[in-house]
Amino acid sequence: MMTHIGRAAVERRHLLDLDVFGRTEISEILETSAGMREVLGRQIKQVPTLRGRTVINMFFEESTRTRISFELAGKALSANVINMTARGSSVEKGESLVDTVRTLQALGADILVMRHGEAGAPYLAAQHFKGSVINAGDGRHAHPTQALLDLFTIQSRFGRIEGLKVVIVGDIVHSRVARSDLWGLTKMGAHVTLCAPQTLLGPEAYWRATWPELTISTDLDRALDGADVIMALRLQRERQEAGLLPSLREYSRFFGITAERVQLAASHCLVMHPGPMNEGVEIMPDVAISAQSVIEEQVTNGVAVRMAMLYRLAGE
Amino acid sequence: MRYLIKNGSIIDPAARVATIGSILIENGRVVRVSDHADLASAEPEVLGDDIEVINARGAVIAPGFIDLHTHAREPGEEYKETLATATRAAAAGGFTTICAMPDTRPTNDCAAVTRQVREIARRRGVIKVEAIGAITVGRAGTSLTEMAELVEAGCVGFSDDPRPITDSAMMRNVLSYAAMLDVPVLTHCEDLRLTMGWAMHEGIISTRLGLPGFPASAEEAIIARDIGLAELTGAHLHICTVSTAGGVALIRAAKERGIQVTAEVTAHHLTLTERWVLGSLGVNDPPAAKRPARGRKAEAGLGLPVWLVPTRLQPYDPSTRVSPPLRTEEDCDALIEGLRDGTIDAIVSDHSPQSSVEKECEYRLAEPGISALETVLGLALTLVHRGKMDLIDLIAKLTEGPATVLGRSPATLRPGQHADIVIFDPEAHWTVDSTTFVSKGRSTPLIGQQLRGHAMLTMYRGEIAFRRGSFGTLGANETQQASRLEGILGSDGE
Repeated sequence: MMTHIGRAAVERRHLLDLDVFGRTEISEILETSAGMREVLGRQIKQVPTLRGRTVINMFFEESTRTRISFELAGKALSANVINMTARGSSVEKGESLVDTVRTLQALGADILVMRHGEAGAPYLAAQHFKGSVINAGDGRHAHPTQALLDLFTIQSRFGRIEGLKVVIVGDIVHSRVARSDLWGLTKMGAHVTLCAPQTLLGPEAYWRATWPELTISTDLDRALDGADVIMALRLQRERQEAGLLPSLREYSRFFGITAERVQLAASHCLVMHPGPMNEGVEIMPDVAISAQSVIEEQVTNGVAVRMAMLYRLAGE
Repeated sequence: MRYLIKNGSIIDPAARVATIGSILIENGRVVRVSDHADLASAEPEVLGDDIEVINARGAVIAPGFIDLHTHAREPGEEYKETLATATRAAAAGGFTTICAMPDTRPTNDCAAVTRQVREIARRRGVIKVEAIGAITVGRAGTSLTEMAELVEAGCVGFSDDPRPITDSAMMRNVLSYAAMLDVPVLTHCEDLRLTMGWAMHEGIISTRLGLPGFPASAEEAIIARDIGLAELTGAHLHICTVSTAGGVALIRAAKERGIQVTAEVTAHHLTLTERWVLGSLGVNDPPAAKRPARGRKAEAGLGLPVWLVPTRLQPYDPSTRVSPPLRTEEDCDALIEGLRDGTIDAIVSDHSPQSSVEKECEYRLAEPGISALETVLGLALTLVHRGKMDLIDLIAKLTEGPATVLGRSPATLRPGQHADIVIFDPEAHWTVDSTTFVSKGRSTPLIGQQLRGHAMLTMYRGEIAFRRGSFGTLGANETQQASRLEGILGSDGE
């Protein structure tokens, strides 16, 4: 039934970040995702690929969207999916992450999907878990399935990623999405511009050493010139309280994605957002629902991409 | 007991001696330093009864090392380390004196605790333990400890390490009061507002890994403040564990202006970088040369780069988390230059043993600190092996330098001096395996790392505090012969 879906050339056990993935492998994942999206378009959105496997969604941080997306992805592949949140679990009683992981292993988990507030936590889990660990977001570090779904969405629309100009706008310094997107987009040959107020960007040299081809800008209007994709990031209100911004109003005036600003980009430009949105702050409501917005498509594609990763890490 | 150490390279920086020779030890003191390689055969009459001849062929004989910065954890955190284990670990690292930091439970902020530390060390330790008193009560930064009484009880300096004194007015009072007592104030330099929630050095790697940073400027700002206050008060300011190029430049300038400031650096800050937090992920990254320089540029032409490359670590390994954090290659270069030109007086361990409870967790949540006493020498000798420093100058940073910081006459091997001696083999290759550490602390990023240079025998007050294997009991050739014989004879050989 799914013979058209290629298996990984490299046997990979975990998905921790895209930094160790090559271009070929990412292309393969996107191909697999296309197959999965086809499954999701059927009347019966389920295949038996992961029957008898147990996926545990281990969420130490609140997240509705990502957790449900992984849950649907696991169920579409017929896996047993169990959701665990830190609230009310042994974590609140002071159990260490390593103990929690060992316990879940003893209970028979095959795949851990992990969201954690601390950067690097999935690496620790992976060292103590015999199955696969999928990073569903760790601190400011990485959110690789988000990056893959962004790549998949861009590729579906343009038929390619190479050579496209992608502008990522917003709270770059605190964003795991920005970091994973950077890996994914640069590996696939896109030209990436990071745009934010300086306080949400940090010193330019910090970025350039790892991603030398990057463009960095604090002038959104200029950065948008000729952009094929605008990706707005969520701005957390705490940033203003922490003294990083004078006001949300000023942020919105100079860095918010408005219909006028979208005009500065290429006419075919896509508008993306990883969600959840602060409408009226980083993106205006009319832009979010405009014809150029693919924000809902990102959500749908997220399920397909996560199915692809579950399948590639644990299939057969 | 008398000892004759023979056939060693005697290197005594304070006495400006470097020769092949023998040392005779009686009643805990050096009685004779001879440039006869084998005093026993030149003058057989020195032998007599009750003497052990230690053959130090191929090894260096130096004054015992002094560590200005040891967290011995006793009293209160004996599950991490005790004075008994810390002194034995120190002896295994070549140290004959350690300075015990006051961040114990209770804090060493009153004479009773100072006396307790010294008493436990005297009864259960195998080397000298000097006590450092806390600057403020409970190291809370708000009220001065009874410093005069602490000095009377034996404290040789004051520190709130690993915490800084955040209140500048308090710091002025601290320095002013300590100046009256003529003891150094050892400060951990960190602007806590700039380092809130920090996990590692702020820069390229922290940006990649999404970890909150401890910027170099957070150290430099407090060094600058404290230097200004040292000038104002005339106190002896000692900068603990300087880790940044900018910090080195500030201390250099202060010394040039004649301000009474001294400084120390750890062996790991000299040789390991922020890249260690990336672990094996960073090994294939572009060379450091392409990275932007910051602060004072290291002088060119110093030979091979000295920093080591992690090959066996996973990313985010908590054993790379130390305070201050591991910095950049440029900082390593500047620290080495600071050692060479006398800006930095001492190499220290900052031995901070932690148990697995504090270390086996999420990176940022792990307590900073590593078990360092047993790897200081092997790491520091990298500077010699890579042509950055002469051996005699390096030994000075472990002996004469720290003694000067404490206001002591320099540790030396002259006749009449206490026989505090280390014999180390600067060429011995060994692989770090923390499960064999004498210290209770097992966390080190160096597991599996090959180091070159190992303490073989440490003598404190004329008695052997540590001996590696059966070192010195037979000649080198005889040892080889003996092991060959053991192989032939099997277990019946004895």
